[in-house]
Amino acid sequence: MEIQTQQVDAIEVVTVQGDIDSKTAPAFQEALLPFYASNDDLVLNMSQVTFMSSAGLRVLLSVYRQASQASTRLVLVGLSEELQDTMSATGFLEHFETYTTLDEGIAAIKQKA
Amino acid sequence: MQPLRFSFSDLIAGYVTYFDRAKACFGLQTSHGHDYDVYLTNNTYGQIVRNLGWPWHTANLGEMLSSGQYLYVYGIYYPQGDDYRFEAKSFVFPGTTPDTYNHEEPDWWINQIQAIADHYMHWQFDYPNQPIDYANYRTILHLAGGKKGDFLQETDTISRLVYGLSSAYLLTGKDYFLDAAEKGTEYLRRHMRFYDADEDLIYWYHGIQVMGKREQKLLTSEFGDDHDSIPAYEQIYALAGPIQTFRATGDPRILHDAEKTIELFDKFYIDREQGGYFSHLDPITLDPRADSLGNNRARKNWNSVGDHAPAYLINLWLATGEQKYADFLEYTFDTIVRHFPDYENSPFVQERFYEDWSHDTTWGWQQNRAVVGHNLKIAWNLMRMHSLKPKEDYVALARKIAELMPSVGSDQQRGGWYDVVERLLDEGEEIHRFVWHDRKAWWQQEQAILAYLILHGVLKDGSYQKHAREAASFYNAFQLDHDDGGVYFNVLANGLPYLMGNERLKGSHSMSGYHSMELCYLAAVYTNLLITKQPMDLHFRPRPDANRVLRVQPDILPPGSVRLESVTIDGQAYQNFDAEGLSVTLPESDTPLRVKVRLVPMPVMG
Repeated sequence: MEIQTQQVDAIEVVTVQGDIDSKTAPAFQEALLPFYASNDDLVLNMSQVTFMSSAGLRVLLSVYRQASQASTRLVLVGLSEELQDTMSATGFLEHFETYTTLDEGIAAIKQKA
Repeated sequence: MQPLRFSFSDLIAGYVTYFDRAKACFGLQTSHGHDYDVYLTNNTYGQIVRNLGWPWHTANLGEMLSSGQYLYVYGIYYPQGDDYRFEAKSFVFPGTTPDTYNHEEPDWWINQIQAIADHYMHWQFDYPNQPIDYANYRTILHLAGGKKGDFLQETDTISRLVYGLSSAYLLTGKDYFLDAAEKGTEYLRRHMRFYDADEDLIYWYHGIQVMGKREQKLLTSEFGDDHDSIPAYEQIYALAGPIQTFRATGDPRILHDAEKTIELFDKFYIDREQGGYFSHLDPITLDPRADSLGNNRARKNWNSVGDHAPAYLINLWLATGEQKYADFLEYTFDTIVRHFPDYENSPFVQERFYEDWSHDTTWGWQQNRAVVGHNLKIAWNLMRMHSLKPKEDYVALARKIAELMPSVGSDQQRGGWYDVVERLLDEGEEIHRFVWHDRKAWWQQEQAILAYLILHGVLKDGSYQKHAREAASFYNAFQLDHDDGGVYFNVLANGLPYLMGNERLKGSHSMSGYHSMELCYLAAVYTNLLITKQPMDLHFRPRPDANRVLRVQPDILPPGSVRLESVTIDGQAYQNFDAEGLSVTLPESDTPLRVKVRLVPMPVMG
């Protein structure tokens, strides 16, 4: 798993590549920690995630909760059909704000900013 | 110190030793043998204990102050000479004669569970005015049942209410209680359950935050004791309501959820090297030894080791008869017997441990303190287990607890049981210090009642009967809220309700109808079937897809102590049942069946 961070139009974007499983989930969470503290809205680009285990789902839940507590927005983009199925099966896909493309995600944050 | 020279009011609980009509005075001896002269005044009045929903019943003091009568008298101490004179203001009598206790009537606890369950149905769902909808469930309920505007739905408090409603159905056969329990179980499954496809097991969210039609799922606990972790306690209590519902309906989906949650315990919480179950997991790695857990890292406690049994595991065994659950129970109780006693240091068990079972006396609020009710809960459940797999160790520890607790955990002056006390006495101290207060919580009373009821019911020991009667008398005299329904969270040492802060509430993180209704269910079973030897009806409503062998044993009771006398299905007599095995072979059906069984106590125990 690799994680890249960048700013697009002053919006933080985190792009994840590879598998998020029980081995990589702690690093995934670690990489997202700075964004909780900074109170910045965040786009999480999942378009290059090839597999996400339950451990990854738990990280997403944790991130989502932190974002809610900080009153910041967390937007997921690029969820594959398989990822959507995984999240849907556990019953929390509908509670995330999701968009198909990175541009749509950024636009959504800018629009409501 | 100079003698106290002011008046003050207080309660005395005791047994009448004499009554002098001419002097309007009677003698009262407390449970621990202190004698008082109590003076009546022109304004003294009394009542006979009443159940929820019952009218006031005035006591005839002149007739009822007979020798041996147990009673509570609230009065005022006035300084007089070198002593005090105690003048009575009001009485509560637990029965009308020295040998009668109203709470031992066959339907006392059954009527009480119906009243409590009806209140929670009204408070949470506005039933019967509105359909039962758990979207309207709220954790916080005011003293009179009103909702406070919170939006947190906690998994384990919903589960606890479901437990109470299922128990109410088992005793009363009122369909709406089971309808509500099934809806609650389905709500938990749809909103609170996390199926981990990688591990093929289930864990339960802490709860959900409801925001209009949106909900935020909370995987980790929101509470200070357990923050940012997955505590075993919450997983254990998530199963409590569904499994009690499973007893009534046989819904195979509930069994599946329980099996997958138990796999969570056996894969991640268990300590295979040093035994027992860890108390917390890291939410990402599911590791009990993760540094992120802070003072919950690699810890074991009463909840993680012992609470499986009363919360769901005994009921799961009752419903299935599966040996693997009996084995799990045995493992749990063997672990308790091995590690919890600490009698060379304290009359109370040790409740918190490090990974190697060395004692943790530094954790959070507990430090080196005892929860009185946990000691009693151990005694109660050891006696249940003893009837499943008899072991001298189980009875010995239960007896030890039962004999130690009254002097260190109960109020032998006023009746009732205390909350949290220091495990050790400091130099010069004679009473274990109360950590926060000397109030009496409803659930601690429950543990005392059930412990001494089953001890007496199984071992036939008069001293246990005395403690059971005293504990149940206090609870019924002071813990019931006759104005707004349900039970008070706490009463003061003198029995008056304490109505401040969280203790004012009828619904909270701590209270949601579980302990009060668990008490009704099991007190009815122990009283009727083991002590007063009265027949008892139980109700079940197995679904079409339920196992066709319905097990109807009401609790783990001594083998041969109860027999199944008769069965009706949908109101018609039915003969295909095993009277000694306490099971009914159900006919196939496309619809749920209404099964009513009559259990009768056997005159000679097996």
